[in-house]
This record gives sequence, structure tokens and C-alpha cells, in this order.
Amino acid sequence: FERRVLRGAAEHHYLRVRLELPDGGARPNAAQFKQLVVTALRELHGEVGAALPVDVLTYEEKTVSAILRVISSGLVKLWSALTLLGFYQNRRCAFRVLQTSPFLLALSGNSRELVL
Amino acid sequence: RYVLCEVVSEDPRCRQCIEDRALGLAVRDAIARVHGDYGLARCSISFTVKYLNAYTGTVLLRCRKDSYRLLCSALPFVRYLESRAQRYPCFLNTLHVGGTIRTCQKFLIQYNTTQLLRLLKNCTNEEERQCVQKSLLSCSLTEEQSQSGDEEEEDDGTE
Repeated sequence: FERRVLRGAAEHHYLRVRLELPDGGARPNAAQFKQLVVTALRELHGEVGAALPVDVLTYEEKTVSAILRVISSGLVKLWSALTLLGFYQNRRCAFRVLQTSPFLLALSGNSRELVL
Repeated sequence: RYVLCEVVSEDPRCRQCIEDRALGLAVRDAIARVHGDYGLARCSISFTVKYLNAYTGTVLLRCRKDSYRLLCSALPFVRYLESRAQRYPCFLNTLHVGGTIRTCQKFLIQYNTTQLLRLLKNCTNEEERQCVQKSLLSCSLTEEQSQSGDEEEEDDGTE
């Protein structure tokens, strides 16, 4: 699909993602998580994708969830690469994107988990 | 879009073994490395090697209009040609990008005449000079004569 960016949009996009490992094995640490993200980009988009400036801002090992920051022009590549990643160390895994926003502050509130 | 490029190599044996399939595989491999699965699939939709001249190392590639930039950016990453279990280091020089085969052909004719003029300047013996001058004169008469100019260039290259 095509994503059209308006001139006034921010230059970075923030994604809150969670890696689901259904078979409950060893959880990756922060460096391994970043390596996994870069590997996913390299598989789908080659060296150009692996060179995309992606930052892991926070990482929680208990829940295996992280906040990623990426340049706005690379959001489509990153999201498609995360979606199509199937294996981590020969175990099946899946990336779930929980929230995304061009503003970091918007990721702090989540209306899906709102308890009324 | 049609991309015209030239295969440059230091190894003289490489020239004789250039095949269209080997070159196509090498270019596809380079695209896969640089742009991944997505880039490879997008560029390979209608990717073919249209024309190949083993004497001068001229190659004409065809690709879709939407993905020719991916192809052009991956061409510098072609480092060797592999054929018959032999690897020849070489690199591709992009000469011209055109929309039709006819524009590329016109550019190639002009480029070949300028190459012949350059060869004339770099000639060391008198007989090479005579050969090149003869082919140059025959080039300027009609357009079909420039084909004989290409073959004359091959003789000068081997001498």
C-alpha cells in the first residue's frame, strides 16, 4: 500500500511492539531484540533496509515489548518487515504492533486498555 | 525502461564468456542483496537482458518503469560474473537510461563513434591508426556501417 505523508508531519514515527513467543523459551535481551529487528529488515528490504536508522527506545524483557523509533519515510518498510518475520532462533514468533504515532507522548495512553 | 550498460573487466577472458543468462543471474543476485525479497520481486516482474554484445561488452536491460531506480542503484554491486564455474571480476558502467530501444540504439551509435575517436587519439602504431580511420570514415556514411565499426574496434582491442 502507499503511504502519503503531509509536509507538516513529524520526522520520526514511534511504534510500540510486542514479540509473541508462544512456546515460552528464553527471552531475547535488548541487543538480541535489535538484532532481530535489523535481520527482519535485511530479509525483506536488503542492505538498504538494514541500514534504516531504527532505535529501540525502551525494552522490557518480562513482557518482550519495546518502543521503536524510525524515520517517517521508513515506517512502511519497518512495519512490513516486522509483520513478515516468522522465526526467531528457529522458533515461531510474531510481532504485534500495539500502538503507533508520530508523537511519543501519544504512546503513553492506550484507549484499548481503558477500564471504565 | 531500458538501461544501457557496459561491462568493464581487466581479465581479457571475461569478454568471451559473457552470456545473457549469467549476466541476468548476477544482476538479480545483486538486487536481492541490496533490496531484499521485496526489491527482487518488484524488479523481476519483467526483467530481461534484451541485447548483449560480447565484443564491446554492451548490455541492454529491460525493466518496469516503476522499479528502474532500484535496478540502477543495484548495478554498482555487481562485482563478478560467474559462468562455467569460473568467476570473473568485473563491474558495470551505466551509459544511458531510455524509454525505448530506439533511443538507446541512437545513443549507442553516437557513443561508439566517440569511442572510436578516442581510440584514434590513443593509437600507437601507424597500422592501428589506419584501421581506425578507415572504420571512422565508413561510420559517417550510413548508419548500418557503424556495425562494421564495432567489429573494427574489437581488432584494435586485441592488438
